[in-house]
Amino acid sequence: MDLTRLILAILFFGALVGIYIFLFLKNRRTPKPEGCENLKADCDGCKDIYCPNHPKQES
Amino acid sequence: MFGELVTLLITSVLLNNAVLNQFLGLCPFMGVSRKKSSALGMGMAVVFVIVAAGLVTYALYYLVLVPLKLEFMDLVTFILVIASLVQLTEMFLKKSSPALYKSLGVYLPLITTNCVVLNVCLVNISNGYDFAHMLVYTIGTPLGFALVLYIFSSIRERLEVANVPASFKGNPVALVVAGLMAMAFSGLAGII
Amino acid sequence: MNRMQNFKNGLIKDNPVFGLYLGLCSTLAITTSINNAIGMGVAVIAVLILSNMIISAIRKLVPDDIRIPVYIVIIATLVKIIQMLIQAYAPALNSSLGVFIPLIVVNCIILGRAEAFASKNGVLDSALDGLGMGLGYLLAVLAMSLIRQILSTGVLSMTNPFNEAQVLFSLRLIPDNYTISMFSAPLGAFMTFAFLAAALTAYKNNIHKKEEEAAKAAKIEAAKAAKAAKEAA
Repeated sequence: MDLTRLILAILFFGALVGIYIFLFLKNRRTPKPEGCENLKADCDGCKDIYCPNHPKQES
Repeated sequence: MFGELVTLLITSVLLNNAVLNQFLGLCPFMGVSRKKSSALGMGMAVVFVIVAAGLVTYALYYLVLVPLKLEFMDLVTFILVIASLVQLTEMFLKKSSPALYKSLGVYLPLITTNCVVLNVCLVNISNGYDFAHMLVYTIGTPLGFALVLYIFSSIRERLEVANVPASFKGNPVALVVAGLMAMAFSGLAGII
Repeated sequence: MNRMQNFKNGLIKDNPVFGLYLGLCSTLAITTSINNAIGMGVAVIAVLILSNMIISAIRKLVPDDIRIPVYIVIIATLVKIIQMLIQAYAPALNSSLGVFIPLIVVNCIILGRAEAFASKNGVLDSALDGLGMGLGYLLAVLAMSLIRQILSTGVLSMTNPFNEAQVLFSLRLIPDNYTISMFSAPLGAFMTFAFLAAALTAYKNNIHKKEEEAAKAAKIEAAKAAKAAKEAA
């Protein structure tokens, strides 16, 4: 692989990660609209602890 | 050409259904099907995110990755685009439409790890679809997902009051129902 | 001791597939043959161990706010590497698993373990946890694929994943006329899974009941002893 392609790949990857992290943080700091502070999805199919809707339980 | 697109639409919605034939998106299928209202919210959120993600990843792949010969970065690009789009949509809904956020908002974060989304993006590329086919497939697949999710949630509401053997309670009996639905849907194969 | 316990929990009691209902998509889709199941299981184990180790190694460097984006990037990169390796060395496996290899990225088991275990524990513990959970997944897909392949084709067989022409063993268990082709169709996948999950629930309920009965018996015994002591006094 020549050097320009490598640099391009790294730049492209960096840009994508940058955009994602920027949006992630921006979204986190956007307050939820009124009446939606304590919304919980009634989701109980999987025990995906990563999911923000997962009812946290001691395991 | 037009007939071919209609065939693709019917195939992606009914015959090669994302959940019942390809086993994609089973986590939300099992998890968010207790109530019809939540199934509807999840279905709508999935349709929206898949259409957006399908278009953006298709454009990025053919306009950026192919000219730069960076095709090997497809997977990383796609998952980052999907995750970013989910964040963007959630933020947009929070700011502009609290009512819509109330019904869809909680389901958006779940979609990042929904296999249907990533599958649509990958299949668009690996099947070499042109723009029209890509559009039809990208809209048809989530519609099929939402349809089946809604039907499934209606059945599960009835299942709640049914007398089920103790060890089948909850998810196992729901999976049996899903299997019967898959059998019913396979009967639709005669349409085409 | 504690490590062993963690490792064992992942295999049966907290089996990620039948107990926690994680990673259902690939479990149902690729279990039509034993070859596919073993290939997928090994790929998931590899990704799970590596991602757990990397995430646990960098857990103190990553700011808490952005940890999930970082995990997703790490997992996607690892899966792409594994996919390229499979493409290069086992092309037959690659074509039969198809899109489910890249879909390991969104397999909830991997992100779930990263968040629940690797982000809080040391490298060695995380690697062991990954191995345990991965073996639990492999066990689940293997059980599913054994049932489905034998009932739908009647043959217990395996080919060398690196060379598809080489058959490792092949054993006909059910005569050709008595196979049930339903088990290779979606209906068979859902049914097999439902019955295996119900069996695990029944097993757990049974243990629970026994424990309860033992506790009750102990209580009665204690009451009797107390009564006897009272009478004696």
